[in-house]
Formats: sequence, C-alpha cells, structure tokens
Amino acid sequence: MIAIENVSKAFPGVLALDGVSFTIRDAAVHGLVGENGAGKSTLIKILSGIYPDYEGAIRFDGTVRRFAAVHEAQAGGVATIFQELTVIRELSVAENIFLGREPVRPGGRLDWKAMWTSSREVLSFLDAPLDPRALVRTLSVANQQLVEICKALVLNSKVIIMDEPTSSLTEHEVRQLFALIRRLKQRGITVLYVSHKIEEIFAICDTVTVLRDGRHIGTVDRQDTSPDQVISMMVGRSLSMLFPERQARRGELLLSVRGAGREGEFRDVSFDLHEGEILGFAGLIGAGRTELARALFGATALSAGEISLHGQAIGRFRHPSRALARGVAYLSEDRKREGLMLEASIRENMSLAVLRRVSRWLFLRRRRERELVDSYITRFKIKMTSVDQLVESLSGGNQQKVVISKLLMTEARVFIFDEPTRGIDVGAKYEIYKIMNDLTAEGRGILFISSELPEVLGVSDRILCMREGLLVREFTRAEANPEAVMRVLTGGNAA
Amino acid sequence: MSGGSASFRKVLQFRELPILVYLAVMIAVFSIAVGGFFSFKNFENISRQISTVGIVSIGMTLIILTGGIDLSVGAILSFAINIGGLGIVAGWPIWIAYPFMLVLGLVLGWLNGFLITRIAVPALIITLGTMNIYRGIIMVITKGRYITPIPKVYEAIGSGYIPFVFLAVILAVFIYVSLNTRFGRNLFAIGGGEQSAVYSGVPVRRYKMIVYTISGVLSALAGMILVGKSAFIQPQAGLGYEMSAIAAVVIGGTSIFGGSGSVLGTFLGSVLMGLILAGLTMLAVNPYWQGLITGVLIILAIALDTVRQLRH
Repeated sequence: MIAIENVSKAFPGVLALDGVSFTIRDAAVHGLVGENGAGKSTLIKILSGIYPDYEGAIRFDGTVRRFAAVHEAQAGGVATIFQELTVIRELSVAENIFLGREPVRPGGRLDWKAMWTSSREVLSFLDAPLDPRALVRTLSVANQQLVEICKALVLNSKVIIMDEPTSSLTEHEVRQLFALIRRLKQRGITVLYVSHKIEEIFAICDTVTVLRDGRHIGTVDRQDTSPDQVISMMVGRSLSMLFPERQARRGELLLSVRGAGREGEFRDVSFDLHEGEILGFAGLIGAGRTELARALFGATALSAGEISLHGQAIGRFRHPSRALARGVAYLSEDRKREGLMLEASIRENMSLAVLRRVSRWLFLRRRRERELVDSYITRFKIKMTSVDQLVESLSGGNQQKVVISKLLMTEARVFIFDEPTRGIDVGAKYEIYKIMNDLTAEGRGILFISSELPEVLGVSDRILCMREGLLVREFTRAEANPEAVMRVLTGGNAA
Repeated sequence: MSGGSASFRKVLQFRELPILVYLAVMIAVFSIAVGGFFSFKNFENISRQISTVGIVSIGMTLIILTGGIDLSVGAILSFAINIGGLGIVAGWPIWIAYPFMLVLGLVLGWLNGFLITRIAVPALIITLGTMNIYRGIIMVITKGRYITPIPKVYEAIGSGYIPFVFLAVILAVFIYVSLNTRFGRNLFAIGGGEQSAVYSGVPVRRYKMIVYTISGVLSALAGMILVGKSAFIQPQAGLGYEMSAIAAVVIGGTSIFGGSGSVLGTFLGSVLMGLILAGLTMLAVNPYWQGLITGVLIILAIALDTVRQLRH
C-alpha cells in the first residue's frame, strides 16, 4: 500500500501540489485524473524520483521512502511509463528490455541467450507474442508500450505508473492495453493510471483520485461514482455534456473528392463536404485517414483522383502553399512537429501563414501583425503572459488554439482537423468543439479525423468509416452508435 | 515583484548579452595587459582583419538559422578568385572580372542549395562533398600555382577602411532583412520547425536555395576583398574559413540547430575572435595557442547560452 501524506510541491510562483493525501491499495488499478495543471504530472514525478524535493511524506507499506533519482525509484519497485515512450527504436525488443542492465558473461561479453530467454519469459507472462529479436521500430506504438512495461517488470516493479498511456493508441489498441493492465493486476501489480479520459478511467480503474489546482478533491471507488460526478469534481462545475450543442445548417457544396488514391495508403476515396458541415472520419490507426488528409492538402501527392472546390475542378495540390491559397487548411495530428515552432513566440507562430498579409512588399508591418494576433488571442481566450511568450511553455490546449488561430487567419473555407484534441484536457476539448461549431456556423466545412469514437460521434454531422485504405460505410449522426461503428471499423461486419 | 526585476529579466533575455559581456571583459583585459591595444590604430587593424571572415559569417548565419550548414564557403571563396584570377591575368577589365567572380559564387552557392533541397542527405554531408569538389577543381585548373601579379586596381577594395565598410553595409542590410522581412521571418520558421513551416505554406525549398546562394555570393565578395588585401591569389585561399565562420555564428549566440539567433550576434562573435587574436599576437603569444583559445571560447559561449536559457 502506498500512502501519500500531505504532499506539497512549490515552483517559483505556483503551488503545484497543495497538501495532497490519499492511499493506493495493492494489486489495484488506481486512476488519477485532473485537467492539465491539476498537479498530476508533478505527483508522478515525485513518485518516480524526478522531484526528490517536496514537503510531506510517502509511505510504501508503512515505511517512508524518498526517491532521489529515477533509478532509486526503480530499485524501490516503482516504474513509470511516460507519455513519450523511452524505447530505443533501433534496438531489439530484448535489448530494450534489458537496457542498462544487460546480463553479461565472464569477460564482459553480452549474454544474448540469457537476454532472449528472460525476455521470452516476461513476454509470455503478459501473453504477448513478440519476438525478442525484433527491432522496436518495426512494432506498433501499442507494442512499443508493451516493451516499456516489460522493462518495468524485469525490474521487479510492484507499482507501475502509466502517464496518459492511450494518447497515441487506437480504440482497438486501447482494448489490448486494458487486457494487459488486468493481467498485471491479477499478478499482484499495482497500476497508477493517469489520464484525462473519463471513459477509460471508468473502463479500467477500481478507484479514482481527482486532483484540481494542486489539491486533492476526492478519492472514490468506481462503483460509488459516475462519470458526471468525476467530471464535475475535475472542472469544479458540472458539464451537463461533454459536447456542446450543435445545430447543423448544411449549405452549398464546398469540397468534392472523386476517386482519390495513393499507392499503398488508400484508394478510390470519394466524398463531398458542404458548407457548415462537420464530416467525421472514423478509423483505426493505419486505416489511411491521415495519409488521405496529407495528400489532399498537397503535403504528399495523390496518385489518382480529382479535387473540386465550389464545383470547380482543380486537379490536385502540389504543395501545401497551393492548398492554403485555395482556402484549404490542415491541422496536423502532430502538433509539435507539424503545427508549431516550439521555441518561437506565440506571435511568430500565429502569423507565419499570413506574413504576406501583414507585410507591405517584402517588409513586415509589426503593428498590423500585432493587431491581428491580439484579435485571435482575445477571440480564443488564449491564456498567456505576453504574445512574445514561447509556445513551448503553453498548455496543450492553448498550443492547439495557437495552431488553429494560424490556420483561421488564412481565411480558409475547408479545414482538415486531424486529431485536434489529442493530449489536451476536458475543458480545452470542449472549447475546441465549440470553435468547430463556430467555424461551421460561419459556413466553413470541416473534415474531422479522430481516433476517439465518442468524439467523432459526438461532434460530426456525418461519419465516414475508413478501413484498410477504403471508405467502407457512411453513417448519419442519427444512425451512428459506438457499437455499430466499431463493428465496421474492425471489419466485424461491413453491412 | 516589481518592475525592477522584470526589466532585469529583460536584460537577461537579451540575446547578445553574453557576447557583449565577453567583449567588454576582453577589451578591458587586453587594454590593461597590452600597451597600445586600446588605440585607434589597433582597432583599425582589427577591423581590416575581421572583415573577410565577417562577411562569410553573415551568410553562414542565414544558413544556420534555417537549420543548415555550409562547409564549402572557403572553397567557394577560393574558386571565385582563382578562376576569376585567370581572367584578371588574361587582361579582363575589372568591371567584367568582379561581376564574373560574384557570378561564380552565386552559381556554386546555388548548386549547394539545389543539391541540399533535392537529395535527402544532410547539408553537412552535401557541402563536405562540394567543398572537396570545388577545391579539387581549383587545383586541377591552377595546378597549385599562385596567380600573380595582380593589377593595382584590384587593391582598392582591400585598402584602408574599405573592407570594413563592406562588412558594415552587409551587416546592416542583413540585420534589417532578418528582422523585418518575410524572408527573414521565414528563415527562423524553417529552422524552428521545418514541417510546421511547410504546412503553413512556406516555400521551404525556395528559401533554402536562396540562403545558400546568398552565402555563395558573400563568399566570393570576401574573396575579392582578400585579393585586394594580399595582392596575389593562392589556391589555398579561404582555407579554414568555414570553421571560423561557424565559430563566429555559434559564439554570437545562434543555435547550431537553427531557429534562433541573430546576425548582430555573429558580427560581435567575429569581433571578439578578432580582438583575441590581435591581443594574443601583441602579447607575443605563440600562434599555436590561438586555436586552443578559440576552442575554449566556443565551448564557453555555448555553456553561457545554456545557462541563460535555463534561467527563463
């Protein structure tokens, strides 16, 4: 049993944790939820030895322990699987599992046989049929995560902390992960499951602890609570629903795609998007949705198909700049690499796509730039200290608002939103959905790609299901229910 | 906390602060240690010495801001003046020889940019290759011989303050361009997140071609000044310029990964290196020590920059 007793941690200007106390039972799955900034990460970092410097005490089976480094925490039986995986892609499964503690034979030669045998043992303990000799880069993200869990197991960990483990998994992979967590629990291991996805918490956890603004709001057993109650504990107010109310007003034909295809990725994709419409794309990872989006936007090239805008045929886009010039904007699923310049300011990020508009000839007009940026900061209520603040230091939700502002400034008519709510908290998600509603109310159209089924169903007017590079079925909002859509996506029946 | 600490923090965030501190310390140390260091004549001397590498470093800054690098600048410099030098001794008029050299620089720089944007190989490797190719061609054509004598008209560009005037004008232009034009802003964007820039509609390839081309032209120009100063042309001209230029850029606070930095910082970096070399020479320190000291300086500059970044 882990008893967290009156733990506080202060950073310059912020009290990240404020007298938090609760206990975690052995061999249980314990959920830790809260919005961004609630103190979840700080608490994880204290438990995993990254922040040795805090007030209060943590007892493991009655003894107070204070880990001064990650390896001390590991030696003490606490392993953490961070959101950003730490596997080394160019090494094999076995090498990753034993990284830093490889078994050696006399003379220092690596004992490959022992490594492979022990790896197989750990893998079979988790009923995972992976080859210890496979290179990690050939594995899916879900299996890479599994390798991380194996790493924790060979350390004889009693407690495994998982930080947002599903953020890059598909629904299908999430179910595999949950099965795995249940096996860990059966084998006496405690899992601290950190997430802001309420459905997941209720699917897997025995107990839930809610943090808000660094304070412990409550720890409740799953049977004794409800999603609505947990959400209201998290946000401090009751969100009657997760999705804002939406009135669809379908206007004229905006974008029409016919027979789009790209070698090895997707083929024969045809659909129409109307003004004021949110068209959802549901699918498992690898179904070809992101690939389709990139090719439509001109980041890669379509090898077949035709695009028309407002009924006018325009062939294919050869570069993103052409697409933007025609009013098609793409919000990448990879915000950090493909959406932002992390070490540049909010201002520089926002105005990047419209520098031409804030310039006269070749020269920038800073005042015009500033006014434009300020108007979007006000419109989207972006929380910041100054427009010159680096976007790196913003929360995920605010970063996403910066990217959306950048795209909106281009005055595009068609938006492709690829996983726009990935890694951001409940409150910020709600705001993103509202922005999407506002955009469509102004007559723009949105292609909405998401791997979170409830979200696709909750936000879209129509849902297109993609599987293995093909559009297999269309649902209207009224017809769609999670079970039916999931059956289509997984190929259960494609009626 | 009040305005006092806020403005203090602003000072700390001023990019060129570390290098300014270094400069002040060095000037103070040398002025005390060396008689005649703090003199008009000495500063004039230093200004002449730093001007050629200084011009090359400005082109290098633009390239490094985009996350690239160019190891072939010294080779381009040498190529421009050696091949151009053949025209000079053949009796070409100066108004043909000078533009010809600039065009050589432009073509070689453009070729670098072309290769870098078409082949998925890092700029470091491509320009390591072109450096050897360009230098190889020079040796084949000149057979390793010096080109001399050079007519007097070619010395004008290298006499008195003229080299420094060239540096100052180019500096002013590129400080302005880097901060106040779309082109400049886009360089930072490319270095700060190339994919993000592509997805924001920035024509990344075109801008990369432009920076390598500018760098080629500036290298050729530096070569012309070098000819003016030395009054002969040798095949080994510009040897090691690429490393001095990269050092000036890095000491000046520009991130070697691109995305942040400044043209002014690079200039101050060149000044600092020039001051130190001059000071050491006047102190009669063995020239063999100079490399060691430059190395220490580079590491110190980066260390200080890292500390500064941690603080905010």
